[in-house]
Amino acid sequence: MLSGLTTGSIYALVALGIVLVYKATGTINFAHGDQLMIAGFLAYTLHVMLGLPYLVAMLGAVIGSFLLGALAERIGFRAVLRSNLINVVLATLGLSFVLKGVARLTWGGISDYLSFPPLVSPDPIMIGDLILLPQQLVVTAGALVVMGLFALFFRLTTIGRAMQATADNPKAARLVGIRVEHIHMLAFAVGAAVAGAGATLMAPLTLLYPDIGFTLFIKGFAAAVLGGLTSLPGALVGGLAIGIVEALAAGYIHSSFLEVSAFIAIMLTLVLRPRGLMGGPPPRRA
Amino acid sequence: MRIALKRLPMLLLAFLLLAPHLAVAQEVPGVSAEAIRIGSFGALTGPGYLYGRLVMNGVEAVFDKVNAAGGVHGRRLTLVREDDRCEPSGAIAAVRKLVFQEQSFALVGGGCSNATLAARGEIEQSGVPFVNFASVHDGITLPRARNIFSTALTSGIESQAQIAYALDQGARRIAVVSMRDAWGRSRYEPLMAEIRRRGITLVADEEVPPDANDATPQVLRVRQANADAVILLLYPKPGAVFLRDAAKFGFRPLAIGQSGIADPAAFEEQVGVPGATARFVTISMVRYTPDSPEVAAWRDAIQAKYPADRLSVFNLFGIGNAQTLVEALRRAGPQPTREGLIAALNTISDFPTDAFGSGITCTPEDGRCNKTVVWIQKPPGGPIRVIGTTTVQ
Amino acid sequence: MRQPVLLGLAGALALAVLPLVANPYLLFVGNQLAIFVILAVGLNLLVGYCGQLAFSHAALSGIGAYGTALLKVHLGLPFFLALPCGALLATAVGLAISYPALRLSGLYLSLATLAFAQFTLWVFMNWEAVTFGAGGFRVPAPSYPLIGAGLGTYYLSLALAVLLALAAASLVRSRLGRAMIAVRDGEVAAEALGINLLRTKAMAFGLSAFYAGVAGGLQALMLGYMAPESFDLFHMALMKAMIVVGGLGSIAGSVIGAGAVLFLLEGLRAFKGAQEIAFGSLLIAAVVFAPRGLAGALNRLPRWRESYLRRPARDAAP
Repeated sequence: MLSGLTTGSIYALVALGIVLVYKATGTINFAHGDQLMIAGFLAYTLHVMLGLPYLVAMLGAVIGSFLLGALAERIGFRAVLRSNLINVVLATLGLSFVLKGVARLTWGGISDYLSFPPLVSPDPIMIGDLILLPQQLVVTAGALVVMGLFALFFRLTTIGRAMQATADNPKAARLVGIRVEHIHMLAFAVGAAVAGAGATLMAPLTLLYPDIGFTLFIKGFAAAVLGGLTSLPGALVGGLAIGIVEALAAGYIHSSFLEVSAFIAIMLTLVLRPRGLMGGPPPRRA
Repeated sequence: MRIALKRLPMLLLAFLLLAPHLAVAQEVPGVSAEAIRIGSFGALTGPGYLYGRLVMNGVEAVFDKVNAAGGVHGRRLTLVREDDRCEPSGAIAAVRKLVFQEQSFALVGGGCSNATLAARGEIEQSGVPFVNFASVHDGITLPRARNIFSTALTSGIESQAQIAYALDQGARRIAVVSMRDAWGRSRYEPLMAEIRRRGITLVADEEVPPDANDATPQVLRVRQANADAVILLLYPKPGAVFLRDAAKFGFRPLAIGQSGIADPAAFEEQVGVPGATARFVTISMVRYTPDSPEVAAWRDAIQAKYPADRLSVFNLFGIGNAQTLVEALRRAGPQPTREGLIAALNTISDFPTDAFGSGITCTPEDGRCNKTVVWIQKPPGGPIRVIGTTTVQ
Repeated sequence: MRQPVLLGLAGALALAVLPLVANPYLLFVGNQLAIFVILAVGLNLLVGYCGQLAFSHAALSGIGAYGTALLKVHLGLPFFLALPCGALLATAVGLAISYPALRLSGLYLSLATLAFAQFTLWVFMNWEAVTFGAGGFRVPAPSYPLIGAGLGTYYLSLALAVLLALAAASLVRSRLGRAMIAVRDGEVAAEALGINLLRTKAMAFGLSAFYAGVAGGLQALMLGYMAPESFDLFHMALMKAMIVVGGLGSIAGSVIGAGAVLFLLEGLRAFKGAQEIAFGSLLIAAVVFAPRGLAGALNRLPRWRESYLRRPARDAAP
């Protein structure tokens, strides 16, 4: 049950980025998991191969992903965002293939799974009856911090409020002088930056390999939808819920149900509550 | 425009009519005065690329070395790679392309068991000699097809060795933790057959998915069952997650890996908890680890040719495989035919390679040419050591 | 409307004489093409015409394929019975999942169908007594009168592809087809026109699943080996690519898109290891430069008429 919380916070970190992009653009970035993977490899290059300190590597991964996200929006997604949903899905799927291919050619020949040195002591600690790995606490705390930062960002900054306005009604946003294209670009970039932070946090637990992104994306997407797609706390709740469901299914039924339990949960939730657990009406699309 | 469009099918037809004739007519397919074409299929893309592209890199390194020394009977060896995307339709397309379009003289390859199994019928029918380099499923070499050989340990051989090792170490309560994908199943089934044959009852039978980030529930069940030996039919990532979570609870049974986790030094880092791998032993398909001084020459060769790569066990699979093939090509003489190569492969007996645990032996009755399991272990803080070999008959 | 049909038939004729000249590799690619066409046309009915962004097509073709192969393996049903039964099984499942779909739209439908697809794969991998699990199983070769198994499956696939594409082309001009398009363009408006939303969506799901099931069954005959990874989300992405590259809401586009994607898959073999990068870049380029697909580009040609493109051209109103 508790172990589900750690996995859940990994999913929540992924879901945060997905929700962020969705809130501003009304679309889902299918390459989100692969952006996360690339960020993880960037951090690996900086930290392990070049020997830079962890925090510098994290910053590098965040900045690198931010730029990559902005670039992807400019080259690919901007032209597509105006057409229909499936075209956007396909463009982001295309990006996902490209990123995986690049990672395979660049880092794929080093080893099968690259291990990332843990940020904190690797020895397990006891809190009462609970046994935890410190790195798991770091991931959970990191997810909360990142989420808190973004909640503040949306509430307090002009850019954040402009992003919300764009999501709510792009035409009105344009009328009051918001440059919608810039907001979209920013959303993709910030979404990728969140992936960058998340990747550096979780890499010691998840290890790094070119195909890590897809499963994380699927679970993150599921978490985001469970949480209602537009709600940042929803993403966290959704992520934790999926983590816990998986742990419970594996613990109380059989471990072969671990993989499928999340999907059964999603199907049931959507049948009963078609807009997720915490979802409001959908944002209007540009 | 309209006319051009209408002519399109005709042009297409004309092209298709000509296409087969573009290849130069040869007496023996794939053999010219200067070169021998060897086709290779395996995953170049997707998660299976480790068992495809990286192994092919090893094959290519051997070919380069042979070519630099004048080739085989004066002919250069060229490798034609095709992607099987790790799936049945990709493998059938790749094999047909290599055999009929690229006119390969012989094939090496095979990384994903289902893909290779699906293509087995094609290969058998074509009569082209094939030496499998990484697929472990027993069904690829059994029942014997006269033109199919394998330098990879088969899953059945490894499973028998795993059980034998556990019993040798005095294990009484054996648990199995496996992945339920094609790779995992190709090992799980022969393992279960061996367990039934020996009349053993498992105390726990758990599953960890390939992408798992947590295995606490599985660890708790295995611990509850009081297992003293755990057989891991897992890739390094889920394997590392399992041992990490086991260490969290201070649960350290004898953990028995297989050739999927072939580098205990890397695995120790992947687990990340000090001492968690102290009781972990695993099978190496190859005798050396990538850091061994014995393979320094290959390490340099791989790094010179693929600067972003480091020598890996996957490269070594390919190196041992290609050395076997090259030896057979030499024995097939200056006028090689496919039948001649098959006959030559069948004469390979106790042939030493730079990679495998012991000599390679192929016979007309058995195409499983590598039957020696090398047990390796890395004590915490120490170097990797070979703790024994098991040769399965 | 006539020109696309004539051209399509000419293409089919070219494929029909292909076995006389081609090597087994090209024959395999030709057979794959026929199967891709059926998949793409079926998916386009649901996504392009009815506007339901579902991710279940690959899984449904898997149900058709497993249905066909398992009926043969377990019950010894001959293929001429097993194939339609497999397709009907896929249809039934498609109809069943359309009921929750009525309440879901857009991305929620995507996720629900994605979850369904993953669930289906899990069943293939874990219901070992029936599906033989992740390791897959061998499917016996079918037998045909007069010709061998390979050629027989080839011609069967080709014939079914032509038949089903023509059927779809006439279907989209029927009452049901127009209802599907109305649902896509606005559910409220469609209901106001007296269209039964549930029935129309269910029909679209069922029809699309039938196409997927037929294609899956043919795949089982062609490969002779069934394994779950043949129906995973990579294949779903391929099918999506076919209809988007070809053109949403266009039967001709589906056919062209199927050809284009297969051409890319096989043609990009030349890139050896960089296929993923090349394929992904081409997908992005396709949606950026031809957002209405190749059919959209073709529609600008004089005398090329196909109605009901996703964004209807001025002259395309019925």
